[in-house]
Amino acid sequence: MGRVTRQEFVGRVAELERVVAQAGYQKNGRGLLLLLAPSAGVSELLRQAYDVLFQGRTEVVPIYFAFTRHETTAVSAAIEFLNSFLQQYIAYRRNEPALCHASLTLTDIVALAPSSDLQWIDQLVQLYSSIRFSNDNKELVRFCLSAPQRVPEHLGRCFVMLDGSELAEDLNGSVTLGPEVLRIFGRSGRAFVLAGLRRQILDAAHNAMSNFERLDLLRLEQLTSEQANLLIEHVAQRQQVPTSREARELLVQQFGGSPFFISNFLQAAREKSVALMTYLDCERLYAYEVLGGHLHHHFQSLLEEMAPQLETRLMLIRLLWEGVVNEETSASVEAWRKRLQLENVEFEYVLHKLHIHEFANWNGTSIDPTAGSQPWKDFLKVSYRLAVLNEPRALVVADAITDALKRAPHTIARHYKRLGQISLREVAVQFNCQRVPRILFDYESFAQKYKGEGENEIAAGLDTDIELMKLPQIVHVASSLAFNSDLRQICDEQKCVVAHGFEDGVYSDAQEVVWLIARVDSKLEVEADLAELWFDRFDSLARVHGFRRYQVWLISNEGFTGEASKLLATRNAFCSSDHQLELLIDQIGVMPVRQTAAVEAPDEFVMVLPMGEDNELLAASTVEHIARRLSFQPAAINQIKTAIVEACINAVEHSFSPDRKIYQRFRVENDKLVVIISSRGIVPTNLVSGNASTSNTESDDAAEERRGWGLKLIRTLMDEVEFERVDEGTSLRMTKYLRNGVLSGANN
Amino acid sequence: MDISSGSQVRSHCVGTTAVVYASDYLNKLTGEKIERECRRQLDSGCRALVIDFADTQLVNSIGISILLGIIDIAERSQAQVVFADVNNQTVELFTMLGLTRHVSLAKDEQEALLTISGFDPTSIVH
Repeated sequence: MGRVTRQEFVGRVAELERVVAQAGYQKNGRGLLLLLAPSAGVSELLRQAYDVLFQGRTEVVPIYFAFTRHETTAVSAAIEFLNSFLQQYIAYRRNEPALCHASLTLTDIVALAPSSDLQWIDQLVQLYSSIRFSNDNKELVRFCLSAPQRVPEHLGRCFVMLDGSELAEDLNGSVTLGPEVLRIFGRSGRAFVLAGLRRQILDAAHNAMSNFERLDLLRLEQLTSEQANLLIEHVAQRQQVPTSREARELLVQQFGGSPFFISNFLQAAREKSVALMTYLDCERLYAYEVLGGHLHHHFQSLLEEMAPQLETRLMLIRLLWEGVVNEETSASVEAWRKRLQLENVEFEYVLHKLHIHEFANWNGTSIDPTAGSQPWKDFLKVSYRLAVLNEPRALVVADAITDALKRAPHTIARHYKRLGQISLREVAVQFNCQRVPRILFDYESFAQKYKGEGENEIAAGLDTDIELMKLPQIVHVASSLAFNSDLRQICDEQKCVVAHGFEDGVYSDAQEVVWLIARVDSKLEVEADLAELWFDRFDSLARVHGFRRYQVWLISNEGFTGEASKLLATRNAFCSSDHQLELLIDQIGVMPVRQTAAVEAPDEFVMVLPMGEDNELLAASTVEHIARRLSFQPAAINQIKTAIVEACINAVEHSFSPDRKIYQRFRVENDKLVVIISSRGIVPTNLVSGNASTSNTESDDAAEERRGWGLKLIRTLMDEVEFERVDEGTSLRMTKYLRNGVLSGANN
Repeated sequence: MDISSGSQVRSHCVGTTAVVYASDYLNKLTGEKIERECRRQLDSGCRALVIDFADTQLVNSIGISILLGIIDIAERSQAQVVFADVNNQTVELFTMLGLTRHVSLAKDEQEALLTISGFDPTSIVH
C-alpha cells in the first residue's frame, strides 16, 4: 500500500509505531483520532501502517480507506468503502497484496474468497444487493460502513484506518457521513483510526456525541527541520532531482516542514527537469508552482470548494489578501458578510472551511486572515493581482520570483538565529520554584565578581553563593508578539516572551506574577538608553494587559553597562548576559537544543575548524607554515595571521552559523597567498557592502566602531579583501602578495 | 609557536605602580583577565599601570578594544598606563587602531617604571 519503502519513509517513525500499536487495542475497541496540522501529511503514514500490519500476518486485518474529492455523495463513498474493505480483506486472507489494487467486482470478490470466508461474504453481498435498491440511503451507508464488523471473530479482526475525514463532511445527500463514520466506528467495539484536519475532526467527534473516554488523540504537526531535510533528501533522490544543501535548507524553512508541500514541490521539479541547487532555482520553480503548478491547484481546489461562484471567490481572495497585507488580525465578520453577499448558511460554510484549513482564524465575531502558511499567502497574492487587479501575468511572475528571492535570505537568517540562540521559551517553561544564585540576574554584580574568572572558579563561586532567589513556577509562556504585534518590528518571536506563573507555586492572586523576558541585540554591553527603552516597552505591555505584578528580565550577549544595570535595578528589573543565562540553564537543568548539520567532504584542500576555543589560533598556525614556504617575511606572516584571526572572529560573531564551523581554504600561487574563510549562516548587508560597523543599530556608534576594527585590520593588513556572499553564508577572500621579497601591505 | 590563553594573570606591585603581564595571545578572555587584574590593582590603591607584553605574540581586535577600556578605566582613576615590551607587529596594530594616542610605550618593564617615576617620582620604592 505504501508509496515508498519502509526505509524511505522518514519523519514519522514514532507516529507509525503509535498507529500500529493502536491495532493492539482491539479488545478495548479504542479509536485513535489523528489531528493534522494543515498540509502535515498523513496518507503515507497510514499506508505504511497498513503494510506493517499486513506483513505482520496476525489476526489483525488492516483496512485503509481514503475519502476523496471524487466521491460526490455519502452513498457512493460508502459503497466505495465496502468495495475497498472486501478487496483488502481478501488480499490479506490470500496473502496477495496485489489484489488491493486490482479492479474487482463484487462477483470477483466472492469468487476469490477463501472457502472459510465464503459463507459470510456471500451473505454480505446478498444483503447489500437488497439494501442497495431499497432507497434507504441511511441504511445503505450504515450497512457499508459497518461491514468490517460482520467478519466472524475467529477469522480475524479488522483494523480500519480512515483518511481525509474532512472530505466526508462535504458529501451531498441525505446522510452526513462525517458524524456517521464516528458513530459507527465509535460503537463498533473495534479499534480504528480516523485522520483529519485537527480543527475539523474534533468538531466532528463532538457533533457525533462520541465517547471521548474511548478515543485516543495523536497530533501530527509539521516535520522538524531535521526530519524535513531528510525527507527532501529521500524524495529528491527518488525523483532524481539534484539538490544542494543550501536549497534543501531553504525549502525546509519556506514550506515550514510540510511533507505535503515538499513532496509536491519535488514532484514539480522532476516534471520540469529542474535541479534545485541555488536559491534562484528554488524560487523560480516556487513562483511557477504558486502561479500554476501543484501548489496552485491545491489551493485553487480548496477555494473553489469554499466558494464555487466566481464572483464570490474573487471577493474572498480580495478580502483575504487585503487582510494579510493590512495585518488585520481581527476583521469584522459582519463586514465580510456584507462584502461577500452570501446567505448565512453559505457564509458560515466559507468561514468554517477557512477556519478548518487554517487559512484564517474565525472565532464567531471576528476573522484573522493573517494565519495562513507562506505558500498560501503567496498564492493569495498572485491570485489577487491576476484575477482581481488584472495585472499582466509576466509582471506578476517576475515579482513572485524576485519577492521570493529577496525573502529567502531572511527566511534562512531567522532559522539560523533560532538555532544559534537558546530559546527563552524553553528556559522560562522550566522555571519551577528552583533556588538559584541571585547574582545570575544581576549583571553588574556578576561582572564585578566573576568577569575574567575561569569557568571552574565561577562554578565554585556559584556553588557556595548563599544569596539565592526562588524562581516562580511558570505555567504558560508565549511570544510577546502574541500580546503586542507591534513588537514584530523590533524583535523576533523567539526573543521576547511573556511567562505567566506563580511564586512559590501558590495559585493565588497575590502570588501571581508575569515575567517579561527579552533578548536585547547588542554586540557590546547594552547602554542605559537601550535598556530603558526595553523596560518601557514591557512596562507599557504590562499596563495594557493589566498584569498586576510583573518582572522584567533583559538578556544581552555581553551584558549591560554599569549605568544600564543601575537603571534597571532602580526599576526592580533583572539583567543578565548570555554567560549568566547559560549558567542559569546549568542550574535549572534545561538542555538547550542546538542543532548541527553535517559537513560535506570538500574536494579542495580545506581545513574545517569548530568555532570557539581559540581555534582561530590553529588557522593562524597553519597559515604561518604555508606562508613560510612562500618565503614571506616574519612581519608579513604576522600580518596574515592577524588577518586570519580577525576573519575567524568575524565569522563567529556575524554568521549565526548553524554548524558552528569555519571553513578555510589556502591557495598558494606564484607570487601570492590566497586565503578564503567561509562560514555558513548569515552576514549583515552592511558588512558585505564594506562598512566596517556591525549590524546592530541600537548600540552606540563609538562602541560599534571599536568592534568593527576587525574588518578594518583585515583590509589594512592584506592586499586584497573581497567578500563573496553566497546563498547561505559568506566567504571572505584575502590575498597577500609577495613582491620580490618585499613585504606588501598598507604599512610596507 | 606555542600559544595558550593561560589561566591566571601574573602581576606585581612596585610602589603604587602595578605591573600586569599579558599572555601570549591577547583575546577576549585574556583581555578580560587583564582588565580584572587592573581594576583590582586600581581598587587597591595603585596609581599607575604597566602592562607588559613581553610574552605576547598575537593580539586580536577584541583584545585591543578591551585594552582601550582599561585605558578609560585608568583615566577615570587618574592613573597613568604604560605598555611595555610590545613587539613591532603589535605596535603596528596599536597604531592602526589609535591606541598609541592614549598610552605611552616603553621598551621594557624597567623603562616603563622609569616613565612612571617621571610621572610620579615618589612612586618607586627602592
